[in-house]
Parts: sequence; C-alpha cells; structure tokens
Amino acid sequence: MSGRARVKARGIARSPSATEVGRTQASPLPTSVDLSNNEASSSNGFLGTSRISTNDKYGISSGDAGSNSMERGVKNKQDFMDLSICTREKLAHVRDCKTGSSGIPVKLVTNLFNLDFPQDWQLYQYHVTYVPDLASRRLRIALLYSHSELSNKAKAFDGAILFLSQKLEEKVTELSSETQRGETIKMTITLKRELPSSSPVCIQVFNIIFRKILKKLSMYQIGRNFYNPSEPVEIPQHKLSLWPGFAISVSYFESKLLFSADVSYKVLRNETVLEFMTALCQRTGLSGFTQTCEKQLIGLIVLTRYNNRTYSIDDIDWSVKPTHTFQKRDGTEITYVDYYKQQYDITVSDLNQPMLVSLLKRKRNDNSEARLAHLIPELCFLTGLTDQATSNFQLMKAVAEKTRLPPSGRQQRLARLVDNIQRNTNARFELETWGLHFGSQISLTGRVVPSEKILMQDHICQPVSAADWSKDIRTCKILNAQSLNTWLILCSDRTEYVAESFLNCLRRVAGSMGFNVDYPKIIKVQENPAAFVRAVQQYVDPDVQLVMCILPSNQKTYYDSIKKYLSSDCPVPSQCVLARTLNKQGMMMSIATKIAMQMTCKIGGELWAVEIPLKSLMVVGIDVCKDALSKDVMVVGCVASVNPGITRWFSRCILQRTMTDVADCLKVFMTGALNKWYKYNHDLPARIIVYRAGVGDGQLKTLVEYEVPQLLSSVAGSSSNTSSRLSVIVVRKKCMPRFFTEMNRTVQNPPLGTVVDSEATRNEWYDFYLISQVACRGTVSPTYYNVIYDDNGLKPDHMQRLTFKLCHLYYNWPGIVSVPAPCQYAHKLTFLVAQSIHKEPSLELANHLFYL
Amino acid sequence: MPNRKASRNAYYFFVQEKIPELRRRGLPVARVADAIPYCSADWAKPVFTPLRRPGMLVPKQNVSPPDMSTLSLKGDQALLGGIFYFLNIFSHGELPPHCEQRFLPCEIGCVKYSLQEGIMADFHSFINPGEIPRGFRFHCQAASDSSHKIPISNFERGHNQATVLQNLYRFIHPNPGNWPPIYCKSDDRTRVNWCLKHMAKASEIRQDLQLLTVEDLVVGIYQQKFLKEPSKTWIRSLLDVAMWDYSSNTRCKWHEENDILFCALAVCKKIAYCISNSLATLFGIQLTEAHVPLQDYEASNSVTPKMVVLDAGRYQKLRVGSSGFSHFNSADQEQRSNTPIGDYPSRAKTSGQNSSVRGRGITRLLESISNSSSNIHKFSNCDTSLSSYMSQKDGYKSFSSLS
Repeated sequence: MSGRARVKARGIARSPSATEVGRTQASPLPTSVDLSNNEASSSNGFLGTSRISTNDKYGISSGDAGSNSMERGVKNKQDFMDLSICTREKLAHVRDCKTGSSGIPVKLVTNLFNLDFPQDWQLYQYHVTYVPDLASRRLRIALLYSHSELSNKAKAFDGAILFLSQKLEEKVTELSSETQRGETIKMTITLKRELPSSSPVCIQVFNIIFRKILKKLSMYQIGRNFYNPSEPVEIPQHKLSLWPGFAISVSYFESKLLFSADVSYKVLRNETVLEFMTALCQRTGLSGFTQTCEKQLIGLIVLTRYNNRTYSIDDIDWSVKPTHTFQKRDGTEITYVDYYKQQYDITVSDLNQPMLVSLLKRKRNDNSEARLAHLIPELCFLTGLTDQATSNFQLMKAVAEKTRLPPSGRQQRLARLVDNIQRNTNARFELETWGLHFGSQISLTGRVVPSEKILMQDHICQPVSAADWSKDIRTCKILNAQSLNTWLILCSDRTEYVAESFLNCLRRVAGSMGFNVDYPKIIKVQENPAAFVRAVQQYVDPDVQLVMCILPSNQKTYYDSIKKYLSSDCPVPSQCVLARTLNKQGMMMSIATKIAMQMTCKIGGELWAVEIPLKSLMVVGIDVCKDALSKDVMVVGCVASVNPGITRWFSRCILQRTMTDVADCLKVFMTGALNKWYKYNHDLPARIIVYRAGVGDGQLKTLVEYEVPQLLSSVAGSSSNTSSRLSVIVVRKKCMPRFFTEMNRTVQNPPLGTVVDSEATRNEWYDFYLISQVACRGTVSPTYYNVIYDDNGLKPDHMQRLTFKLCHLYYNWPGIVSVPAPCQYAHKLTFLVAQSIHKEPSLELANHLFYL
Repeated sequence: MPNRKASRNAYYFFVQEKIPELRRRGLPVARVADAIPYCSADWAKPVFTPLRRPGMLVPKQNVSPPDMSTLSLKGDQALLGGIFYFLNIFSHGELPPHCEQRFLPCEIGCVKYSLQEGIMADFHSFINPGEIPRGFRFHCQAASDSSHKIPISNFERGHNQATVLQNLYRFIHPNPGNWPPIYCKSDDRTRVNWCLKHMAKASEIRQDLQLLTVEDLVVGIYQQKFLKEPSKTWIRSLLDVAMWDYSSNTRCKWHEENDILFCALAVCKKIAYCISNSLATLFGIQLTEAHVPLQDYEASNSVTPKMVVLDAGRYQKLRVGSSGFSHFNSADQEQRSNTPIGDYPSRAKTSGQNSSVRGRGITRLLESISNSSSNIHKFSNCDTSLSSYMSQKDGYKSFSSLS
C-alpha cells in the first residue's frame, strides 16, 4: 500500500442521482483521441439530466466525481457522443428552418459569450514517443516542456498526445533530454493531424484551455466545477461556508463557438473531522464512542484543503496513528507526520488521532485490488449537508439566500468572471498564445407565446398568472368527478378529532368543486404500521373506492407498507395524509382543497383542460429511475393520454433488470395504451407525441436507435391500414444556458412562456428552450426540448405551443409546471414505485392517476 | 508404458463421488481403490444425475411418468406429505467482484414445510459476519441500513459461523439418511449458496447442500397436480406479495421488536404462506395456523382492541337493505376466521375464467361473503365447514373432487 496518502483521488460520487451511474455505464468508450472524428465536444455537462435533487434546487454542486486534468478532458468522451447524432437532417420540415414566429418577441441576455479566433486558426496534433519508455506522466511532461522549442508555445499535453496552435518546423522532431538520474531520453514528436477549428477535438482542447485559465485565476477544480476558496461566503450561525464557483464549458451552438458559465456553490462545513470527533466525544462520552463516530462519519465526503480534493470516508482505522509509517510509491517508508510536513509543510498537531480510510476509485478495466487512502482527520473538512441539515428549515433558508442568486446577481458574477479573465495577465497570456479572444456576451431574441385559458366545467377562465390559478378556479366546478360513495378513513385515537374536522372541511370544499363525497367509514387503529396494514387488509373490499390513511408520523414504513399493499396486492386508490398537516388550522381550507383534487383524480376525475387544437392526439410521457432498494432494477414509468381532450391517462410502470437507463418495454406499454385509446375513441390516434425524460449524457444514440424503433413498431403493428404518426421529444430540465430579460437597466427572469429556438440551440438538432416555470427566488432555468423523431411534421411554432399547453395539465398543482404533464406524471409514478412499492403496480389502477 | 490416465473411466468418477458418503457411513476409504468393493452394488443400480433431482427439473410441456418419479413423490399423498426446507441467508450487502469476500452473512432463517402440515418447524439465527474488509464499512453499512438494519459490528446476538452451520445441519438433517432438498428464491440463490460455502469453509464441515429454487418447486408441484406448466410471471407474483409483511409470528423476535420488515426468517415463512395460500388450497387442504397466520384475522379484536368501526350513513342504509345482516358484527368476524384465505388461481387457469386473481385472498373472501351475504346468513352456525361453504361456490366443486 504505497503512497496512499498522496494518491490522487477524485472522490467517489455519492450523489443519489441515478444518472451518474447511468452515464458511466452508457457504453465503453474509445480512449484515444484519434478516434474522435465522430464526436464533437462541449464541456462536461452542457446538458445535465432532468433529475431533480435538493442540491440542484439550491444551485449547489453535488457531484464529486471529478475530472481534474487534461487527459481526463480528452479521454472522457461520453458527453460528446450525443453531438454526433444529427437528428435534424432526417426531419425534412425543419431542415431549413426550425424557428417559430408566433408570439411577442422579447430581448434576452444569456450566460453565453463569444469566443473569437482568426479565420485560419488551426490546431496541430502531435504524437510523442519516449525511448526508453517512461511510465510517469509527470516526468514525460516535465521533459518535454523543458525544451526551448516548446517552452513559449501554446500547448496542451497529456503524456502522449500534444496539441499546439503553431506548427513545428519539421513533421518529425527529435529531442533528447537527461533525467535527474542521468538517463538520456529520446523523444520523437510526430505530426498526426491538422485540425480546423470546427473539429470536435478542438472543442475538447478549448475546454482544456479554459480549465487552465480558471486555475490561473486561482480557482480549484472540485468535481467538474471550479471554485474560489479565497472568497468564501460564510454562514457562521450554521458553521458553513460556501465557495463560489462556476460550471464552464465551450461548445458549438447554433452557428458559432461559445463559452458558457453558470454560477455554482460548494457547501463546506467549517469543521474538521477531528473537531467533529472531539465534540462528539464530549457529548456522548467514551463508551461506544467508536461506533457512534463510525455511524456519523462513514459515508460523508471530506475535502482536504492542502490539495483541494474530495474523498469519501469509507472506514475509520482506529489502529493506525499519524506517527505510523507507510510505504511511498518509490518504496521508502515515511511517517504520515513527516510526509505532510515534507509534502505540504503542514504540522499535524494531534498524534493520537485515528485515520480515515477512503476507497479510491478504480481505473477502468483495472481488476487489481481496491486501493485505499489514509487521511488525517485533522486535515479533512466536512463537505455537503447531512440529512439532518437539509431538514433544518432555517439552515436551508440561509443557504438558499446565498446560493439562489437573482438574475442581477448572476449577471454581476458573470461580469466579474469575464473581467478577471481579461485582466489577469496569466490568463490573458494563455488565451493570446492560443490565438483566442474573449468576446462579448450574447443577447438574442426569444418569443413569449400567448398565455392559455383554463377550461373548467361550465366556465373558461383566464388566469391572472399561469404560475398559480388556484384562486381563479375557486368558484368553478371541475370538469368531471366521480362520486365518492364508499370509502374508509383510517386514523389513530389521537388523530380522530382532527380527522373529523378535516372530513367536514373536505366535504364542504369538495361539494363546491362539484365532487360529491359521502360520509366514510372511520376506522380507528393503533399507531403502528402493522395495525394500519391489518386494518386495510380487513376492511378493504372491492366496493371500496378509496382508502384514506391519517398517518401519525412521517415514518416511511407507514406510507410504504400501505402503498405497497394497496397498489399491487389489493389495488385500491389510497390517500395518505400526515396528521401534522391537518393540525394547521388556518390552512385547513387550502389543504382540504388540494387533497380533494388529488382524491378526485385518484378515483378517475378530471380537473381542468386547455384547448388542444389537434384532434385525435395522444401524448405520452416516459421517465426512468433506479429502484431505491435493488440498484440493478430500472423503473420505467409510462403515461399516455386516452382522450382527445388530454384529461384522462393510462399509466403503467414496468420494472426491468438492466444496467442502463434505456427502456426495453415500450412496445408492451404502447400496445396497451393504443388499445385503451381504441376502446374509448373507437379509432386509433392520428398523432402520437412522446415526451421522454430521464435521459443522461451520451444516451441520445441509444434512444434514437433503440427506443424510437420500439415505439415505431408498436404504432405500426397496431393498425394495418392507417398508422399513427409519431414524434419523440427528449425533455431535459437541467441545461447550461440561462436567459434574462433586460428591464429598467437591470436584468430579470423572462416571462412565462418564453421560447428560445435560435443561437443557444444546436445546429444539428431540432431543439428549443421553453420557460414554463416561475422562480420566486433566484433565476429560472429553462427546460430543453430536443425533437429526435418527427413524423407529424408540425410546424415548430405548433410544437412549441403544444408543449407549452401540456405544461398546464398536471393535476397535482393548479398552475404551470416545468415539464409537460405526461412527463411529470411518469416521474411521479416512477418515484412512487422506486421508493415505496418496488414492484409493478396492478394494472387495475392504470386508468386512474393513483400515484398523485 | 500404458497411459495411466486411461484407468479413469466413468466408474472411477462414480466411485470418487461415492467416497464422501461411504466415509459418513464410517467405512475406512482413503482412495478410490478402497471404495470400489462398496460401490459395485450401487453401480449396477440406475442413478439419477443431480440434474434430474427434484426441482432442478426443467419444466416440460408433456409430463411423462419418469418426470413424476423424479419429484420423488408418488401421487398427491406423497406430494402433500413431502417435506421442503426454505432457506435464506442475509448479508451486509454485496461486495464488488474483485473482492475475495463477496458477502458477509449476518442472518439465517430456515423453515421446514409440507403442504399438508404447513410450517412444521423453524430455525433462525444471527451470524457474526466476521471482520469487515477494510474500506467497505460504508458500503456494508449502507446496504444494511436500506434493508435488514442488522448492526454491522458489536451485535451481541451474532453467533459464530461454524456453530450456526452446525445448528442448521442439525435442523434440516437430524437423522442419518438422505439430505432433503433445500429451496430459496432464485434471486437469492447466489448469495445463499456463497454464504453456505463460506460458512462451511470456516467450520470445516463438508456437506454440499443442494440449493434449488422455490420457483422451480412451484412449477414442479403445479405440473404434478395439473399436468400444466404455470407461467413464471404468475409464480413471481404468487411469491411476491406484501400482505403478510406485518403478520404476527412471522419475523424473528429482534426484527419484530424493532419493526423492520426485512428478516431472513420472515422471507422463508412468507414463501410458505404464499405456497399454502395458493397451492395447498388446490389440494383441498384446510389451512391451519401453520399454513398462514390466521390468528391475526381471527382475533383482530384482541390484537387491536381499540379498533372501532364508526358506522356512518351508508352502512346504516346497507344494514336496512340487507335484512338485518350486519357486515361487521362480531359473529361475522368469527365466521371469517373460520373460512380459509383462499386464492384459487387454478380455478381461473383450469376452467378458463377471468384470471385477474392473485394475492388477494382475504379481500376476495370478503367480497364473496358480501356478495353472497344473502346466502351466508342462512348459516346460523358459525362453524361452517370449509367444504360446505366451498360447495356454494361455482367451479370449486370440480376441484375438491380432485383431491
């Protein structure tokens, strides 16, 4: 175990996001740049995924999976794969023009910047060989860079491949150097390729250049982003500090190369692991200290400030002390204390502390034993927020205040970054030697599509704000509601009183909504999950339309066991309500309204509609998610509308045992959905539009080649004479560009319904951005839509407006949501199954939105 | 010089396989040559290769007599009396493939079961998982926390692996003779097999248990009874129900006290319940408390004494409408407790009726009671026997005649 402490670790991604996993498994990738003809480049993570996690909401970077050096940037191509999929050229109706024209034009500022370079700019790719061969990359680089031929040129080198912006005189250059040990090494530099600026390899190199520049601005790369430890934002009352930073990338957008930057924060705790241990010891005493300590610390991610790297704590070694020795890579023995003194000039003060153990990420195709790194608690700072912290409202509020920057704050930070790049001599020199020039911020024109009217039963309402029309529809009757005659309420003794008062309230609001709720049978049970489940088993018979459970606590087992039994073993819609929620007297009416709406939907009611100009259109939403218990199970949720008004849905969730985020059960689902449509409408839908969410980086190809054919074959297979026309749209909630409107000399969030389909889009795709949510604090993020298949031939205008309309139809929220309703339903369904049920819900429930 | 290896013919390997058994019989056999005299008689007999032992049997469409005999059960009687052992071993997660130690066994559960008798005995023990490989503490802790929640260290209930294995052997094989087949769910098979081998290594007891899958067992029983092959999906859904999760006397004491659903013993017992609930009824066996946890439903009033039904308007109407029959009075609850929890998938299969039934024994029973409430009140006597009640139902008659 040599040189453990020194070994570079890139921290292991502990983020629960399923996409991380999916991405790394997407496909084996070529490791050499020579193969890169077929891929273009952006930075890592130009388009993230649509998964929401708490961290995303707060704009805090959560990923600790890092790529920290240039060779990573060259080799890691998963993210660049998507760009080789040119879907637009196959779509005849948008080949020439994919922009819409309707709506009111609005001037928008973006977080994108021009990157200028001379017309004839070229990149020269060389291959460098060493005789005798050297294993150490560091040594290879040092030897090469020491030569005067190269010292003043702009260069990027990973140990084998060298990029230069200026051509060397000879095609093959031979150099020789002497190492410190006196060995003479011969280096041969051979020209391999001359690359024009549009080449995908260039874009990778541009990204590498910008990473270098940000390092020159004394920012540190943690994960994929760059942070500035010298200007922390402190939140002293919670012992937190935030490092401000940026996620950056360079890529080709519609017509030119652009640099994009988005603000990001790293949350750190102002506490070393040693301090944490001491405090814990004082609190709990010595008995059982090691176990408590392991329980609290293991699994956390720490940052070592001496090299600004992150590690996860996988174990604690109580038997090793800083005074013990370890073997360095060259075979010499050294104590940890001496090592840190020599290497970083750090004196370890506590010589009796145990050592933290981190399991280092193994390299690909490396079957060797796992490598461990020993870390000194005194030097490790805790990062991120614990579950305990995230449930602390005050703390999260304080963090949100700092991290959720309003558009003006974001704009200021961007301006400062640009200013720094241009003022810092080193950074500017780096840019200039490469022949690049940092240009102006891009502004473009978007369009605001008209707002939608909400159709109620006998009333058409024009909401004051599409963000929330709950007030506007208060007096209106909902479209269609089944009467709720036979139902149960399960509650405990303590909650009986609130249940009664809630029931009265519920019946009152439901009545005014046009939803008839009869008096239920109330069953009192003891306060434990077993009692609830037994009562459900005993009292639920097939006549029961709905079971409402008033849960005494938010313990997950209550919810999980009830949902599990009532979704698959005995399919009856269920509604769980926390007793705590019902105790909020002042809010009783609005709570009851919301629950009444959910209950209506669960037994097959419809709340509202928007005008859909296309007759016979089926919309489908697909989302995927990993099961929370068994990680090799993929939960695929599919939701399809079954009436032309798009108010009734067929929902099905399928579990598949695969390692990728790709669905292979779509034909089964589509056939079922088309049969349902046929049953209700006595015909097949003329058009089908599929919104696919949950797509990770690098999966576009698989989608086009694997999922689209499944959908097509099910559409073709179901009818012999006329086949429905299909469109497939990939929906992504997370994307790099941000848009601001300029108003009264300051920038603001753009209005709802803003569509951007030029400049910030990609030339090879039929894509657009749509803003369909409101950010009450911070900056709104647009949703990105990429039409990968389109038989329907709808005009871009119509496609955009239809998408906007669909964002109004999510029945769990009386307002517009960030993705089209079928996607949100599919997401909700997969979430329920992945978190609570872990098996396929019964098909008997498929006609109701039982998962709301 | 003759090729010495030529002497290794089929008989050689046959004898080699026999050696462990001969040693168990106490015969002094050190080499193949010593064992030859004892094996000659057996060699003459036809033997079944392991592939054709019960359960491993690959389901076939046409069930021929030899296949029946491989189940080593002759006719229904043998099938009903046949004893199966369901086994499960939990681990603190699964370590990556490059590790030598793939699992850390921490809990074992096993039940002895027959269709006729239900659960006849059970065995449960916590296992000391041993030292956790350095660096994997987080991995193991996370796996444990998301399922059985057994502490990964300092858990004083954990027993020594050798002792546990010895106790398990004593449980499944108390008397000399053939070792019975052991079953577990196919998803768990790799883990259970690995753990058994690992524990055997630690204890130096050599006994290769034959681990078969429950799914194949169900196929076998079903095939034997109805000469038809059930679908895998049907079997999966049959074995994967949540309704017994909280049944009393199902989990081990520790998991019950801590109210954790994942328990190795509970997994085995739930397999037994599911098989009883869906298959034993096909043989016309009256379910007892050993088959399914009836007591929960029998004594519901005593289990949750505070469970009160507040009758509301609709039920008053219903009461008036159904000529005095009250759905939820106490007599009815006794009635329910005496009737089996029936799930009759085969009715659907064999008589070609609607096949949406699965895992809803109790509710379907309630449904049938409420549907035929007009009939039920005729049984003034609450001791309605199974057969007399069942004979009321269409389609079941044909079945009871089968048994």
